[in-house]
Amino acid sequence: MDRPTPSPELLGFIVDRVSVGVFVVDRDMNVVLWNRFMETNSGRSAAEVVGHNLFESFPELPVTWLQRKITNVFVIKNFSFTSWEQRPYLFHFRHNRPVTGGIDAMYQNCTFLPMKDADDEVAYVCITLFDVTDTSITQRMLRSALKSLAEASNRDGLTGIHNRRYLEELVNKEFSRAQRYGSMMSLIMLDIDHFKRVNDVHGHLAGDEVLRNTAKRLRECLRDVDTFARYGGEEFAVVLPETPLEGALIVAERLCHAMGSNPITFGDLALPVTISLGVSQWVPGIPCYEELIRRADTALYQSKANGRNRVTIYRE
Amino acid sequence: MSIAPLTTDQSDALQEVVNIAMGQAGDRLARTLDVFVELSVPRIRLVHVSEIVKTVRAMVNDREAITAVRQSFYDHLRGEAIVLFGASGCLDLAVLMGYATDLDALGEQELLLDVGNILIGACISGIGAQLQADISFYPPSIMAEYASLDRVLVPENLAWEYSLLVEVNFTLENSNFKSHLLILMAEEGIESLRESLERLMAAV
Repeated sequence: MDRPTPSPELLGFIVDRVSVGVFVVDRDMNVVLWNRFMETNSGRSAAEVVGHNLFESFPELPVTWLQRKITNVFVIKNFSFTSWEQRPYLFHFRHNRPVTGGIDAMYQNCTFLPMKDADDEVAYVCITLFDVTDTSITQRMLRSALKSLAEASNRDGLTGIHNRRYLEELVNKEFSRAQRYGSMMSLIMLDIDHFKRVNDVHGHLAGDEVLRNTAKRLRECLRDVDTFARYGGEEFAVVLPETPLEGALIVAERLCHAMGSNPITFGDLALPVTISLGVSQWVPGIPCYEELIRRADTALYQSKANGRNRVTIYRE
Repeated sequence: MSIAPLTTDQSDALQEVVNIAMGQAGDRLARTLDVFVELSVPRIRLVHVSEIVKTVRAMVNDREAITAVRQSFYDHLRGEAIVLFGASGCLDLAVLMGYATDLDALGEQELLLDVGNILIGACISGIGAQLQADISFYPPSIMAEYASLDRVLVPENLAWEYSLLVEVNFTLENSNFKSHLLILMAEEGIESLRESLERLMAAV
């Protein structure tokens, strides 16, 4: 198809002045074109670079990979691409946000274009390099916002530990793992004794402090692999993966002791706080994760009925 | 939008064009990767959007988690191509493609994009060359990673009714690597393909 051809001067002007890196290499990786964008950003003039091997001029380039990439364009005669999302940049250039960027180099998207000769062979590969620093910064901000959002939706606002939504998700996941692989898992449900009385006598601010302090103390008694969550009101739960009932019992006793041994201070007040606990474990035949929670809850109410400040193991 | 199916002549011509293009693609890939590349005989059919998931599921092992790369092409032919990678064997390609073997998650993504781009490019450029149609490409992107097929192709999200589906399977010698290439051209794309085929037939 014929189309009007602009003058070489006009084409030369555009290639040189467009805000995109443009350079061309031949089969021997010698540079045959190096536009102004590349000159400015690399600090190397066309006169220095053109006619010389790309990798000799820029030994810091990832030679093995890039040579392969360019060679593939010659052989396969097809476009090729790189994206900042996987490979932030090809050339280490300064970016245009020295103050607000918070990153170390210009992020780049690159396109490798095969330039065919009359025999339909690829004579040159033209590489265009787009500055996508701004896009990448926006994307990163978006991603980090989404991540904190996801994290926030798993946390309890008052105590900062996980919330019930997260806990149920996790119990379900651990439960499925136990069903599939027969691995062990235990669950502790616990409740602050006479919590309503703290609120009624000392006010809700004292109640909040008791919840916060209890969460903090209990958290310190647990391993990193254990998941600790506020289940609701003054009720908490601990998921112990890969832990048999005996191990869970030891943990539960430790938690019980951690609370009962020292009062919680709130202003001038020293509030003695105890907890009641119930422990259940996964055994073959439990139909669903809710049943595991129900069993720990049943044991917890036995602890309450038997005088509080104690641990009970679920028995059928 | 209703679509007239390709005539028998058009279908035959297309099958021939695609066969030749894929043969060449296999050859170029083999030269690039320096291993024998096996391609299935391309299957071409017109599918309704409601059948796309079922059709693709029949081609791939449904139980496997799918990783997919998609890429758009435009100019004289217009459509999208999707490469579905099986869960295993991708790393065999890392070495062949000049990548480090201890790839992190991003390195693996880049490898998949590169492989997707090469498979798609080799095949579609081949078809373009046969039809004397210029084709340009947009950068490829990752469509899904270790997801089930239902999440990769959701009919409700597809804004076409009929699409021409060209399906080719790739395997590599001495490797677990396998992938399925799908070339999809929706209504508008089919019409320009039809014109190209007519031109080709008129020329011979």
